[in-house]
Amino acid sequence: MIAYLVTIAILVCVAALVGLALNLQWGQAGLVNFGVVGFVAIGAYAAALLTPQVGWLPAMIAAGALSAALSAGLALLSIRLEENYLAIVTLGFGEVVRLVILNEGWLTNGALGIPDIPRPFASLGESIGGDAVFIVFALGLLAIVFLALEGMARSPFGRALRAIRDDATVTSALGKNVFLLRVKAFAVGGAVMGVAGALHAYYLTYIDPSQFTPIVTAYAFMAVIAGGRGSNVGLLVGAGSIMALLEGTRFLKDVIPVIDGVQLSALRLGLIGAGIVLLLILRPQGLVPEPKRRAADVLPKAGGGR
Amino acid sequence: MAAQLFFNGLVTGLLIALPALALTIVFGVLKFANFAVGSMLTLGAYAAWVANVQLGLPLFGAAAIAALTVAGAGLLADQLAFERLRARGSITLLVASMGVSLVIENVCRFFFGNASRGFDVALSRPIRWEGIRINQEQITIAITVAVCLVLVDALLRFTPLGRAMRAVADNASLAAVRGVERRTIARLTWVLVGALLGLAGVLAGLDRAIDPLIGWNYQIPIFAAAILGGLGSPLGAVAGALVIGVAEEMSALVIPTNYRQVVSFSVILALLLFRANGLFGAKAARK
Amino acid sequence: MSAPAPIAALSATDLRAGYGRGDDIVRGISLDQAPETILAVIGPNGSGKSSLVKTLAGLLDIRAGRVAVTGRDVTRETPAKRVAAGLAYVPQEANVFPNLTIGENLKLATEFLRGRAGVGPEQRERVLGLFPEIGARLKTRAGDLSGGQRQMLAFASALLANPEALLLDEPSAGLSPKIVGQTMEAIVRVRETGVTVLLVEQNVAAALDVADEAVVLVAGQVSLRASASDMKAADLGALFFAKVA
Repeated sequence: MIAYLVTIAILVCVAALVGLALNLQWGQAGLVNFGVVGFVAIGAYAAALLTPQVGWLPAMIAAGALSAALSAGLALLSIRLEENYLAIVTLGFGEVVRLVILNEGWLTNGALGIPDIPRPFASLGESIGGDAVFIVFALGLLAIVFLALEGMARSPFGRALRAIRDDATVTSALGKNVFLLRVKAFAVGGAVMGVAGALHAYYLTYIDPSQFTPIVTAYAFMAVIAGGRGSNVGLLVGAGSIMALLEGTRFLKDVIPVIDGVQLSALRLGLIGAGIVLLLILRPQGLVPEPKRRAADVLPKAGGGR
Repeated sequence: MAAQLFFNGLVTGLLIALPALALTIVFGVLKFANFAVGSMLTLGAYAAWVANVQLGLPLFGAAAIAALTVAGAGLLADQLAFERLRARGSITLLVASMGVSLVIENVCRFFFGNASRGFDVALSRPIRWEGIRINQEQITIAITVAVCLVLVDALLRFTPLGRAMRAVADNASLAAVRGVERRTIARLTWVLVGALLGLAGVLAGLDRAIDPLIGWNYQIPIFAAAILGGLGSPLGAVAGALVIGVAEEMSALVIPTNYRQVVSFSVILALLLFRANGLFGAKAARK
Repeated sequence: MSAPAPIAALSATDLRAGYGRGDDIVRGISLDQAPETILAVIGPNGSGKSSLVKTLAGLLDIRAGRVAVTGRDVTRETPAKRVAAGLAYVPQEANVFPNLTIGENLKLATEFLRGRAGVGPEQRERVLGLFPEIGARLKTRAGDLSGGQRQMLAFASALLANPEALLLDEPSAGLSPKIVGQTMEAIVRVRETGVTVLLVEQNVAAALDVADEAVVLVAGQVSLRASASDMKAADLGALFFAKVA
């Protein structure tokens, strides 16, 4: 039972990292990213391939940096696009990443995946217990990222992002470089997704392309919607409750014995979809609403109105 | 070889034309990108499979059932999800459509599993013409799509419903004060779009194996076609679909077939970068 | 000015409305308009003039109050039903369907008005008689029309519904002075066919020339109502920029 709770806690950490990243991009900056899974996968593969060569810390930094660089690159190309177009470009990017991983076997081992990924503090884990050490590591990582992102949300950068989301025209008229701010938001989000991917790889110690389906993206969106767009605290609550819900459905198998494995996973994925729609309808402000900070607070002269 | 690929590409393009048309109509009238196009196509394929294989109906009967089923699903999704979120803007709607997509895809997976399925149709010998192999399925696809396109074009141009749909696309609040009930037009739009996606599902099921991801595999080509044609332009979507179909098939001459899907993505990216309005107009850049 | 009729052609009672969750923009407006009159609504920018006509037409959510057309309560009706009840509306500038032809614009104006009396071929003849330049070019895309022609098509589309009352939102916007004159003449012709006109205008002089009466709107409330001739003599600048309690 304890082992099971530890597993859930670590999965929540990964989901929360991905969610925090999307919360920066979509929740705070208003930029849709349907390619979340692509950045997570890049981070996971970078960590898996580099850790044996250079050790976990440099590998993890590289995972974040590579993901951030690709995210910035994609943003440079497409961030000017209106949301419907940005959505399809990012979705397409996610698919391209999947295809590359699947087809470039010399690097990624294709569909077979990469086994035996060394965990950070593995030797320490042998004496104390692997998962106990790992959960401290995961929680520590989450805490660092959370504090960094919270600091960012309160900084002029974060305020400017929300101002752009609420009214890009006014904000750019006031001399903010909307384009650059959006690219930065995408890059930072990409970095966090890469780190989340690395954590995922370290925890499972084995990765293959089947772990990186668009469902990862859907989870992240649900976490952000559930938590309340823009609120990092809400995001943690959102990611936690989703994992609880998802893991809870595993028990359905015991309650409804006629259900087989495929049906169970279909049920869980369908619930995620229904959850997204329901939460959008019922809780437009999420479980923990974003504190009211409008463009007018940031930019005194932005007021006016109709 | 090249001629064969070109021909196959035209047929693939015709296959993509119906869902691309559906995507572009929803975008024009209801103002959001419907990410559930792929899964609605999947639903159509399964509905037809049940009618054809389990109930023993001939394929055209099964196609009618598929069209009705997906039209019903579209109405339901509109009633339960999209209509309630209408006032919240297109980002919310497109995220919601992703949720709807997951629901539909997994309803199919729940009832039919991940196994591949196929219609119960007689195998027939391909025809040879000028060195090109033409399958019976390809002929069926081409004729069905051509008839659908003519009908949709006539509907949009010559009927009160078509006028009203174009008017709502042009200026929804003006249409309302000219007596057009937006709600009615939205519902009828979903019926039309659902029927198109249902038929597209049947045709896709003729072309390849039916599984829960059959529609998802077309998702990016569908978007590429509609964006190429300028989202919101029906004529453009059809032209875009033919270009995408041919480009995907012909790409086999220069890149590994594993990377076929990258073609559509590259077309989208290149187009949005260099010609942000598509071939036929429509604004892609934000303010 | 004609004598007050027992039933107002158009009436608003304590009307309040606004956008989304925002503050009220229309803040308790009451208006009664006698049949076959032209009432000008004037006021400074942002005083809620456009919001008032949108509220009357049904495009803005009514939070309190009541709207009636020839005595019939339409407060809870959709915009489309209000047209069927005799309340037509010509929005500012974007008031025709640019991708439809003139003919299609005109057809669309009536084909969804089930149950509206007096909508038919005779009405079409009469309306096209008022705007002959429109009837001659049915195949032209409305988006290709000049500003003045577009305005005439918009008037014609609204009048095809055989309305009791017509709401006009800044018909002079974006038009050259000469075309503004023609537009105002057209408004007088429309009134002569028995239609009551509520005219929101930024161009105060032009509006007061054709109106019977005028109201001044400041900050979403009626601050003065007077005959058009009295209004011309009033110090509008002081009225527009007076502080409202």
